[in-house]
Amino acid sequence: MSNLSADVLIIEDDIWLSEQFERTLQRAGCQTVSTSNALRAMELIDQSPPQVIILDMLLGGASGLTLLHELQSYTDTAKIPVILCTNMASSIDKKDVEPYGIRRILDKTTMHPDDIVVAVRGALL
Amino acid sequence: MSEGTSKKTITIAGLSLDSPAMVMVAAHELKAPLALLRQLSLSIEAGGLSASDVERVARQMTLTSERALRLTGDMTRTAQRDSALFKLEPVNPVSLCEEVAKELMPLFAAHNKSIRVRYRRSSPLAVAHRELLRRVLINFSDNALHYSADMKPVELSVQVTGSTVRIGVRDYGPAIAADVWRTLSSRLKQGAMQPLAARPQSSGLGLSIASQFAEMMQGTIGVTRHRDGATFYVEIQQSRQMSLL
Repeated sequence: MSNLSADVLIIEDDIWLSEQFERTLQRAGCQTVSTSNALRAMELIDQSPPQVIILDMLLGGASGLTLLHELQSYTDTAKIPVILCTNMASSIDKKDVEPYGIRRILDKTTMHPDDIVVAVRGALL
Repeated sequence: MSEGTSKKTITIAGLSLDSPAMVMVAAHELKAPLALLRQLSLSIEAGGLSASDVERVARQMTLTSERALRLTGDMTRTAQRDSALFKLEPVNPVSLCEEVAKELMPLFAAHNKSIRVRYRRSSPLAVAHRELLRRVLINFSDNALHYSADMKPVELSVQVTGSTVRIGVRDYGPAIAADVWRTLSSRLKQGAMQPLAARPQSSGLGLSIASQFAEMMQGTIGVTRHRDGATFYVEIQQSRQMSLL
């Protein structure tokens, strides 16, 4: 797989899963930043907008949906592609979340570790 | 489950153990650790990890499977609630808190967090079932692990309130939302637990299991909301026997 150079923000409250995503993406050539908190994510996005966001839906504090609403409120952040990575993938219809900038939904229960690299690559096209 | 000729319904989180909704709640709770185990296992299978990463991931897999097994063990114990297996006896809650903190220390350390016992002068005895009480405290501590800030340790504490002993687990993390807290307090006071998540990603199963275990010891659980976190506690009767000093 060719080198993938992208700034990726991971918002995931399971720190071990977050570590796993970071390991995989860094090996593919990405620069990663991670947080478990939606409010902290907004601060990080303000400081340095990522090229792709990987977002878990259920977080401690504000949920992923709150963050998606916030991102859509500003023209610059609304354009950042978001990959939803969740255990609830089977209950989410992609058509319902596309207006929130969701490019792809990954199901944590069935995905392969490299799927996250493929998803980031796809989001950058 | 039957007792004599009458069928008894066992409930967790207000749901019958054999109800489809209960199966859904249990499946939801087990999904996260199983999904994580699968991801970690696949990453080892794929190769390319350094020896230290493999060691780290293997440790995470062990701790994750232990958490999932604790949940299944709790559900089994709850199903046995009417089987008179749980005889109450004087228990030293301070030493039990120390035991819980020691048991969970590796899990907390692996998350760059810590857990400790906050000591007070008195060391009362409580009337409890040692294993059930241990499970309640582990449930609360496990919940606190997710919400505590990195720099602040989760604290277990024991205090006497009238004729009861209150054993609390304090976390320093996001406050429980006011509306959730009002509903939670009200339901805890009624003693009728419904599936209610104190915090966003929880199904409320752990809290409901803790409530059932407390009830099996003639106790109750409750929560105190702080600006910077929460204390979940269990209150049980104080033993009239002399406390072990």
